[in-house]
Amino acid sequence: MSDFLWSSGHLGWGVFALAVFTGLWWLLGDLYWRLRSIRIGRFLVALAIGWVIGVGLILLGFHIGSR
Amino acid sequence: MTILGLQIVILCLVAAAVVLWALYFPYPSPLIRRWLPPRKRWPEAQIRTWLKQGGFQRAFLRHFYSDPERIAPPGNSMLAPADGLVTSAEKHGGVRYLVIALSFWDMHVQRSPVSGRVISVESYGDGFMDGEGREFAFLREKPCPVQKRLVIATDAGRVAVRLITSLAARRIETWVRAGEQIERGQRIGRILLGSTVVLELPAAASLLVRTGDRVWAGETAVAEGATSHE
Repeated sequence: MSDFLWSSGHLGWGVFALAVFTGLWWLLGDLYWRLRSIRIGRFLVALAIGWVIGVGLILLGFHIGSR
Repeated sequence: MTILGLQIVILCLVAAAVVLWALYFPYPSPLIRRWLPPRKRWPEAQIRTWLKQGGFQRAFLRHFYSDPERIAPPGNSMLAPADGLVTSAEKHGGVRYLVIALSFWDMHVQRSPVSGRVISVESYGDGFMDGEGREFAFLREKPCPVQKRLVIATDAGRVAVRLITSLAARRIETWVRAGEQIERGQRIGRILLGSTVVLELPAAASLLVRTGDRVWAGETAVAEGATSHE
């Protein structure tokens, strides 16, 4: 877990990937919301599900990579 | 150490993009604005669905009818008459037309840009126009969208405010009458579901805002140094 937060003198790739993915996912969601006709409620649910899947994949990748 | 520096730079860039997004919301961040056509800058399709069904979400209406207090800045500068984005500041025939486009998320009460006496409150137009360029229909001798024009006489000259509706608009309310003395920043009316306010200034007035700037009714100084026109 310590490698996840901090590793060899730099931020852990896990927490770094989480932060970058969260920011970019939010901005991408904003762009999609402006370009497509979509109900706000459905959009927010889809955004949250996508974020959870993305975080899950990052955690899974980190777990597999650190074994 | 190099990796840490690179990570910090990337995180700072992402954080800056998110901060810009938050500062400009509901308008698009300046990072993506140039690639978005004006009619794609907020989820207009959803609003049109509400219009077609004849019902708006209550939360939206509560937000739409909000009328917060505003504090005018000191001085004699002319204030923005509406919340929104400055989309044009062109000169036509000795008059500078400062066009402010309101989004559905902007406060829709308009305020007087100057202190003075209301000379006239006139209605123009006969159609609920939509589309780009409707703001200047009255200059092209084409049918105008429904609008009201308030002319205010000040010590330094005359200033006019046009409240213009869009396809979605229902009506325009004006809360001042000809002959009435009004204060700078005073509420003058509301465009119900409307979308555009045009401030007519003498061409000699020096602008304090540029196209693309966001302004707030009764709080943002938009011009100074007016002299008489009309």
